[in-house]
Amino acid sequence: MSLVQRNRIKRALISLGTIAVVYGVAAEVGRYVLPHRIWMDVHYIDNVELLPTYRSLAEEMAFLLQSWILPDSILVSTGRILAGFVLGAATGIAVGLATGRAARLEYLADPWMMLLRFTPALALLPLYVIWFGYGEASKILLIATSVAVVVMLGAHHAVRGVPQVYLDAARALGASPRLIFRKVVLPAAFPQIFASLRVALGLAWVTIVVAELIDAKMPSLGYLLALSGAYPRVPQMLIGLGTIAALVFLSDMLALSLHAKVTRWMRRTG
Amino acid sequence: MSSDSPRLRLEAENVGYTYPGEPPTRALEGLTLSVADNEFVALLGPVGCGKTTLLRIFAGFLTPSQGSVRCDGASVDGPSWQRGYVLQESSIFPWMSVRENLEFGLVAKGMEPEARRARSDELLHLLGLSSFEAAYPKQLSSGMSKMVEVARVLATDPSMLLLDEPFGALDAQTRARMQDELAGLWEQRRKTVVFVTHDVEEALYLADRIVVLTARPGHVKQQFKVTLPRPRSLETRFAPEFAALKRQVWEVI
Repeated sequence: MSLVQRNRIKRALISLGTIAVVYGVAAEVGRYVLPHRIWMDVHYIDNVELLPTYRSLAEEMAFLLQSWILPDSILVSTGRILAGFVLGAATGIAVGLATGRAARLEYLADPWMMLLRFTPALALLPLYVIWFGYGEASKILLIATSVAVVVMLGAHHAVRGVPQVYLDAARALGASPRLIFRKVVLPAAFPQIFASLRVALGLAWVTIVVAELIDAKMPSLGYLLALSGAYPRVPQMLIGLGTIAALVFLSDMLALSLHAKVTRWMRRTG
Repeated sequence: MSSDSPRLRLEAENVGYTYPGEPPTRALEGLTLSVADNEFVALLGPVGCGKTTLLRIFAGFLTPSQGSVRCDGASVDGPSWQRGYVLQESSIFPWMSVRENLEFGLVAKGMEPEARRARSDELLHLLGLSSFEAAYPKQLSSGMSKMVEVARVLATDPSMLLLDEPFGALDAQTRARMQDELAGLWEQRRKTVVFVTHDVEEALYLADRIVVLTARPGHVKQQFKVTLPRPRSLETRFAPEFAALKRQVWEVI
């Protein structure tokens, strides 16, 4: 581990530790100061903890773990993310590479891309329910769509952005279009494609929360969040949020370390 | 063709090239030039005189708007590894190791891995880069990476080299060393070379003939035979003939 990395971890620990302490104090004070009864539009709700203490968070966590609600939710939601992500990424890369490479295809695809860029995939939710019904298919396809749009644009522009000098040099050396695509276009475009995959992975986690409101069923992280809002149970809400944040962070870390491994050739700053 | 005049490799006849645009740019006009077998020709001229355009036409990346370009008697129709072309910009593939870069043209030719390896071993040794075979270009100095680019072209053993200011971005010392390397390579294994430069000394040191182009639209302004003895060395750079010729060339530019 380099000194820079060690310093970064140290900084993260200090800053997170500080926040944790401040929160703990605020929650303890809040237990006496904050109202336990809130007005929710049409009625009062009692026994609300606006700022849950560590003790109630721990109790809630114990409950969610012992009942297997949280582990099962993580498994189910992560599985959907994986399926949707793989499907969407594969489609997006294939289409993006094709439109980026073939001028004639781009002529057709360009207006579509504009349209897609400005259409939030989440807005397709009601349509997908009608097309694919309640159930796994519409959830996974919604994630796949939001991933595919981002990755397709990324791959398209990555291929377009391959510097002409590399293509010229390869042609001058007698390389066939196939060889140029495999050994020049793909590796040159790879960093940008990967960057779009990373963005898409984050987006997939956003999408899952919404997608799991279709045919809302336990176990799933999206529904866990929705339920915690309906009770409302703030400790459960915070744990749900924290879990999703941790999973997004984890998947991003995974993506980053993979990225570093496969682009050792790139110049790095810092 | 008489026996005492060498075979012509490249023939440009009345070549013109205009870049489309508003307004269109006339880069070349009425340029006639031929290059003999195994001749080292330096193209010299002011910035923007169409040297690179001419070289790209020779390489087969551009088709002249007027006139014709023939290579070995046949009309130039697209790039070919037979006319090894080194671009002005750095075009070493940063995602490939030094060895993979050197072997790229051989992969394109469909050469077997063992034969490729033998060839790249030879070039690595020649460049003194054997310990860098697995390094990525980011670990090389700009001089070395340019030399790898030249060697990558040499690996395929083209009969002709088209070099576009290969040492343009280097400092004076590195540049002189690279010129020696190139001169040495060329003397070991003669090839037809067209070398674009804006450096008079470089042209004199390397070439058999210097072709000076006019400002845009470029055509041949004057040509100089360089009869300085080979192999050329540091002595050459300080020889009185060198200085005299340098003065003549400068007067035309």
